[in-house]
Amino acid sequence: MDQIASNKPQPAAGQAERVIRHTALDRLYHWLMAICVLILMATAFLPILGIKFEWLDIHWITGVVLAALIVIHIIRALFFQDWRNMWIGLRDLREMRRDLARLFGSRIEPPKPGKYDASQKLYHLGVAVVVLSVVCSGLLMLLKIDTPLWRRNPYLFSADTWGVIYVIHGMAAMTIVAIVIIHLYFTLMPNSWYMLRAMVRGWISREEYTKHYDATRWKA
Amino acid sequence: MEFFRYSRSIYGGSDQLIGASWDLLPWFVGAAVVFIVVHAVLNALAKHRVNQSS
Repeated sequence: MDQIASNKPQPAAGQAERVIRHTALDRLYHWLMAICVLILMATAFLPILGIKFEWLDIHWITGVVLAALIVIHIIRALFFQDWRNMWIGLRDLREMRRDLARLFGSRIEPPKPGKYDASQKLYHLGVAVVVLSVVCSGLLMLLKIDTPLWRRNPYLFSADTWGVIYVIHGMAAMTIVAIVIIHLYFTLMPNSWYMLRAMVRGWISREEYTKHYDATRWKA
Repeated sequence: MEFFRYSRSIYGGSDQLIGASWDLLPWFVGAAVVFIVVHAVLNALAKHRVNQSS
C-alpha cells in the first residue's frame, strides 16, 4: 500500500496552493473568441476608417469560426459545466446594488462572491446578447454572398427586412467595440491582474481564493 | 448625426434602409471612455474613503 502511495504523483512544491479557475479548454475558448472578435472588428471597421483591403472573405470566414465556437461553448456550458455559475439571481441583484452603493459612498463591505461576481455575470449576459445578435444577423447576411459552400440568395427577405438585419449587425458590432474597450479596462486594473493570470495560466493562489471568494459559493 | 444609412433609388420612391450609420462609431467609443473615467473616479474616491476610515 505504501508502495502504491509512494508511486502516486505528488504535487510540485506550491502546486497545492493553487486553485484552478479556468480549465485549458475554457482558456482556449476565451482566447480563440478574443482573436476572432479582434479580426472581425479590424475587418469591419478599418475599411470604414479609410484603410482599404480585401476584408470580406476574412470577415465572413472568421464570423463562421466564431459562430462554431459559440455553439461549442453553449453545449459545454449547458451540459458539461455548471451553468448556474453564470446565472443571475436575486442575490446577485442585491449584491450588485451593494457594489454600486459602495462605489457611490456606502461603507458597507459587499459580501464575497462565488466564482463570478454579480457584475461579471451581468457583463457575460450583455456580451451573450450582443454577440448572439451580431452572429445571427451575420449568418443571415451570408445569404448575400457567394462562397464555395453556398450560392447567394438575396431574395429570401424583403429589402426592408434586410435593412433591419444590417442595422442589428451594425449596432451590435459598434456595441462590441465599446464592450471590448471596457473589458480591457477591467482586465488591466491592478486589482484584477490575478484574474488575467488565471485566464492565461488557469490558476489563482489559495490566498487570492480566500481573500476574494466565498468558499461556500465557489467550492474549490 | 444620422442613426441609419439609407439608399436612394435611382427610379425614385422612398429611401431604403441599408444599415446603421457609421457616424455612431465615435459615440460608442466615447460612451466606453466616459464609463471608464466615471468608474475610475468613483473607484478612487471609494478607496480614499476606505483608507481614511481605517
